[in-house]
Amino acid sequence: MANIAIQRIQREFKEVVKSEEVAKCSIKVELLNDSYTELKGEIAGPPDTPYEGGTFILEIKIPETYPFNPPKVKFLTRIWHPNISSVTGAICLDILKDQWAAAMTLRTVLLSLQALLSAAEPDDPQDAVVARQYKEANDIFKKTASHWTNKYAGGPNCDKDYEDKVTQLQSMGFDEHKARVSLSTCNWNVERATENLLS
Amino acid sequence: MAEAFNFDPDKNYDEATMEQQRNIEKEISANQALVSFQIDFDTVSADYSKEDETYLGKIQDLKIKYKCVRRTRGDGNCFYRAFGFAYLEQLLTNQVDYARFKEVATRSKDELVSLGFPQFTIEDFHDTFMDVVEKVGTPCTTKELHETFNDQGISDYLVVYLRLLVSGYLQKKADFYQNFIEGGRSVKEFCNQEVEPMGKESDHLQVMALTSALGVAVRVVYMDRGESGQCNHHDFPEESSPSVYLLYRPGHYDILYS
Repeated sequence: MANIAIQRIQREFKEVVKSEEVAKCSIKVELLNDSYTELKGEIAGPPDTPYEGGTFILEIKIPETYPFNPPKVKFLTRIWHPNISSVTGAICLDILKDQWAAAMTLRTVLLSLQALLSAAEPDDPQDAVVARQYKEANDIFKKTASHWTNKYAGGPNCDKDYEDKVTQLQSMGFDEHKARVSLSTCNWNVERATENLLS
Repeated sequence: MAEAFNFDPDKNYDEATMEQQRNIEKEISANQALVSFQIDFDTVSADYSKEDETYLGKIQDLKIKYKCVRRTRGDGNCFYRAFGFAYLEQLLTNQVDYARFKEVATRSKDELVSLGFPQFTIEDFHDTFMDVVEKVGTPCTTKELHETFNDQGISDYLVVYLRLLVSGYLQKKADFYQNFIEGGRSVKEFCNQEVEPMGKESDHLQVMALTSALGVAVRVVYMDRGESGQCNHHDFPEESSPSVYLLYRPGHYDILYS
């Protein structure tokens, strides 16, 4: 990796570690190797959102051309959000693409992702299914996102009704996660979710 | 018949697009210096086919008025790089203007920070920028400056800082510049989308802002498909006596020497 990228990441790493957000436990970053090319990020789900109480882990890869090109970031924790793929964790956010500027930092990225959790942009979706639910059945979207936060990110809100539906499909022999995805996709209609799994 | 497009939800298309973009950039960088040596107009003529009378005629016109050209890499940063090199090259032999510029450049960091840019990264770019400015003030040759501008890391740091200066100036004078921005965007949005990201090309607005921010007059000579046998030019700011000459061909800036 080019010297510039390493020096920059080293300095940024210190910046994030010292920042006030770390003190408030809302963002975190860890090194995964000595060469500063792979990092692990962590953001807390923002208050008053379905992600509240959850901890979301991010994979961060630093390209050789950093900071002139953006870091590659995706969610490792499964999440139900219009701008994040529920399958791959890929993120749709302008500053991770064509609006990245070299003056931005890892801290900017983590804070922007946190802001994205507070304010989704369903008109520029990464996950079309989630985006449609967000726009057409917002209550179900919120409950689903909260349920996923509980199941995958350690969030506190357990939804008994949704739990039961997942268990019901599981008892029919379906994989737990696949059952959850299908139910989430079908607005928690058990019959349609089952058809969907069988098709 | 074209193969039907099958959307694959497991594939990250954005990454594939960016990967392709990077490969194109790599190919360009293998063939083009960031800032070339001085070349004469006959070499520039060789870029065009013999039938291209409009352009060849205009090159003849340039040949009468100017000595030679330095090409810059077509990577979307050409205006900033061309301007930066051409102006600092001037300063190698102009001590009075050097002192003025150094003061403007030194002060610029605090101005950017006061406009809300993050101190942490601004400092990083400003330090590198000032290192090069300092270097220009110690006896420095054109050859050394040329090498600095072809060191991709340093050269791109300089481009970033010039971009930040443009962004800062546009935002400082937002009331005025808002009138020129298309697409219902605010000045801040325009800066985030068109100025601060690397590789975004420059238009009149960026040229106006950079020349005003640094107090450096620039003449842009236009070589386009217009029918008149001559190249038009525009001075920024108007009616100034330019110290930097740039050659503009649609989508690209190079440096001109008079």
